[in-house]
Amino acid sequence: MSDFIRRSICDGVAFSNITDDRFKIGRLSATLISPLKKETAAANALLSCVLTRSCKKYPDFTALNKKLDSLYGVSLYPSVRQIGDYQAVTISSSGIDDKYALDDISVSSEMAELLCSILFEPAAENGLFSDEDIEQERRQLLENIDAEYNDKRLYAIRKCVELMCDGEAYSIGRFGRREDVEALKNEDVYSAWKQLLDNARTEFTMLGNSDPENAYQMFSKYFGNTPRKIESIPVVNKVPGKVKRGKIREELSQSKLVLGLRSAYFEEDEDCLANSLMCIVLGGTPTSKLFLNVREKESLCYYCASRMDNNKGIMLIDSGVESENIEKTEESILRQLDLMQKGEVTEEELDGAKLALKNALMSSLDSLAALQGYYIGGILRKGQLSPEKAASVVDKISRERVIELANCLRLDTVFALRGEK
Amino acid sequence: MIRRFDMNFTKIENKRVGEHYFRMEHPSGLTILVYPKKGFNSVYASIGTKFGSIYSRFMFNGKEVAVPDGTAHYLEHKLFESEDGDAFQKYAKTGASANAFTSFDMTCYLFSCTDRFSESLKILIDLMQSPYFTKETVAKEQGIIGQEIKMYDDSPDWRVMMNLFGGLYHKHPINIDIAGSVESIAEITPEILYECYNSYYNLHNMVLTVVGCADPEEVLNIVEKNIKPSSPVDTKLILPDEPYDVVKNYTEQIMPVAVPMFELGFKEKCTDKYVTNKEHVCTSVLMNAFAGESSKLYRELMDKNLINASFGFEYLEGLGYRSMIMSGETKDPSAVSEIINDAVRKLHKTGIGSEEFETARKAVYGRLISAFDSKQAIASELISGEFTGREIYGAVDEIAGLTLEDVNERLESQLDADNCCLSVVKGE
Repeated sequence: MSDFIRRSICDGVAFSNITDDRFKIGRLSATLISPLKKETAAANALLSCVLTRSCKKYPDFTALNKKLDSLYGVSLYPSVRQIGDYQAVTISSSGIDDKYALDDISVSSEMAELLCSILFEPAAENGLFSDEDIEQERRQLLENIDAEYNDKRLYAIRKCVELMCDGEAYSIGRFGRREDVEALKNEDVYSAWKQLLDNARTEFTMLGNSDPENAYQMFSKYFGNTPRKIESIPVVNKVPGKVKRGKIREELSQSKLVLGLRSAYFEEDEDCLANSLMCIVLGGTPTSKLFLNVREKESLCYYCASRMDNNKGIMLIDSGVESENIEKTEESILRQLDLMQKGEVTEEELDGAKLALKNALMSSLDSLAALQGYYIGGILRKGQLSPEKAASVVDKISRERVIELANCLRLDTVFALRGEK
Repeated sequence: MIRRFDMNFTKIENKRVGEHYFRMEHPSGLTILVYPKKGFNSVYASIGTKFGSIYSRFMFNGKEVAVPDGTAHYLEHKLFESEDGDAFQKYAKTGASANAFTSFDMTCYLFSCTDRFSESLKILIDLMQSPYFTKETVAKEQGIIGQEIKMYDDSPDWRVMMNLFGGLYHKHPINIDIAGSVESIAEITPEILYECYNSYYNLHNMVLTVVGCADPEEVLNIVEKNIKPSSPVDTKLILPDEPYDVVKNYTEQIMPVAVPMFELGFKEKCTDKYVTNKEHVCTSVLMNAFAGESSKLYRELMDKNLINASFGFEYLEGLGYRSMIMSGETKDPSAVSEIINDAVRKLHKTGIGSEEFETARKAVYGRLISAFDSKQAIASELISGEFTGREIYGAVDEIAGLTLEDVNERLESQLDADNCCLSVVKGE
């Protein structure tokens, strides 16, 4: 497997590749990154769906899907994620390596051509996409947003974040607000396309066994020397005041409790790793403080876990509990945090967390999807480390540093989805 | 080809996939499968036992045993504890990421690691062989599993599926929730857990798979040092006679969901045999051609604003149950069901066309090949392959030689529009 090789196509546009002959599939994707804003988030999200539905060459989704099937089931899909206060729109494709084709078709070059058509030659005329495409994808995006309510664990987390980051870009959500999606006009989506192509920070990634030159040349053709207006914004990292509390009642068997905390915010990979390690000691494994105490000792829940968003400086802790145990669980979680802040971290706990984090980092080298997620997730940080280098940095993090970072945590918001039957 | 007590591994390779693995039936009774992945950093190891939630009644040494709903899953939780401590604590010292799951027809214990593999494998083998259930430890788990059950009670995806099974199957235990209910797990005692353990956690009923950067000799070495041989036991799953027809055609549950969810299940003739690789592949091609993203049916449902990208299908089959399930989110479940049923009736008249067949065959082939990039998928196929008799490379080979006639013949025993059930979960 080669290193992650990143080269510039033009200002703000880069092509990265890892050449690796261990895999049966190759992955090719384009990620367009821009600050998350209420005015553009919904249009960018809808755009990603409209683009992957058709293109000039395959002007409707049945024709496009037939093409994908005939290329041995190439998958082509949009995804939208938040990287801190930024929105990243990705069009991904993956397909089998050429050597597994049953005929002499080159799946990899067809995939590169297809991704170019999707991005640069959409089925649009006179500054508009087809109304049918817009309406179909709008309906589906709205259903997708509505369906977030169906998964109560994720729903509770989203509600906590909305309350915690009210007024910050972070709370807009990766798809934008529902009402903004509803209000979008065809021309808004079209101008989102122009705007992203012209000014978004753009990352192409190609992972797998195929020669990257062909794809690199193909993408390069579309970018001239016009300077891009890449917008960068400082990430908002607030110091919380009085703890905010939110509660919604629902007809559920189990209640969900979410604690939102502000953590220290860092731009350097080394510091982010220490923050992640601290989060793992607290609630990242089946031997973490939260799992062992809140679940195993007190039998309060099936899950109680913490997760860190280093791109924002936020840590969330969530648990599914009986309604009458909501307060007790909150106390129990905060007691564990307090103990940790007072220095109660054993060498055993620290070593266990280090091994778990290193295992996760090294394992990402065995999956192209995980590798891509790793690099794109950390793309806005300074001096991004490879998973191997990151793993060796983890070894050097001291117990004192972990305790120091635990002491940077400030409880901001407590949200409960209270189940009632 | 394979002698029962052969101390050598048999190498099984496939040119199309370009890979191979090693298999051995160890004298202890354990089947060992080692699948090397060249250049990988991590190893994924799992032990599976052929004991899941449908094993609610069985014969053990000539005696009939019936266990409370949720016992297999409870046993999975409790095996993590032994007299000398909790397995998670032991894994924490090696850095392995460990887990376990119980399905309808098996229970699997697994870990993945990038370092200190032999120590982790020893922990895995030990945890399978050191049951320790007392009144106190069994009681302690009731709160935790009770919360797990409630989490599933609130999950519309899970409810819509379990309600469907209730609508399809009269007597088959597939219609019982894997985790049981808060009431049923209250009946579980250490004695019941030991009885299940002695019946089904026997090495002759278990498979070890190791996928990734592992060497068969190393695996064998660790097994030999740590395994306690067991003599075969006489157990047999008791399955009720399940009629062909469904229980009902429609079932619904009101839950707090924003978009209604549906599962439409077509029940098939049930036997006590697993489907073959060829039957599986025929079904995949058939369903891709019939309801895949480039199909006429998918297009029609989309154009009528009835489905979104969550639409999909899955073939559910095992001992005594076989059904094709189509599912998704929709504002109008009955309309979706009507359109699918009309299309099914037409399909039985016309069969799949040759162009659709060819496209679907390629797509299915590509997906089968892609699955060999995932250690987890390989491990899972290896274990279920041992239990069902479906060799892991069989599907890829079958698809290369598949004909349109094969698929249309398979269709005859599938998708009976007069034998289906629609399950719906919707808001008030």
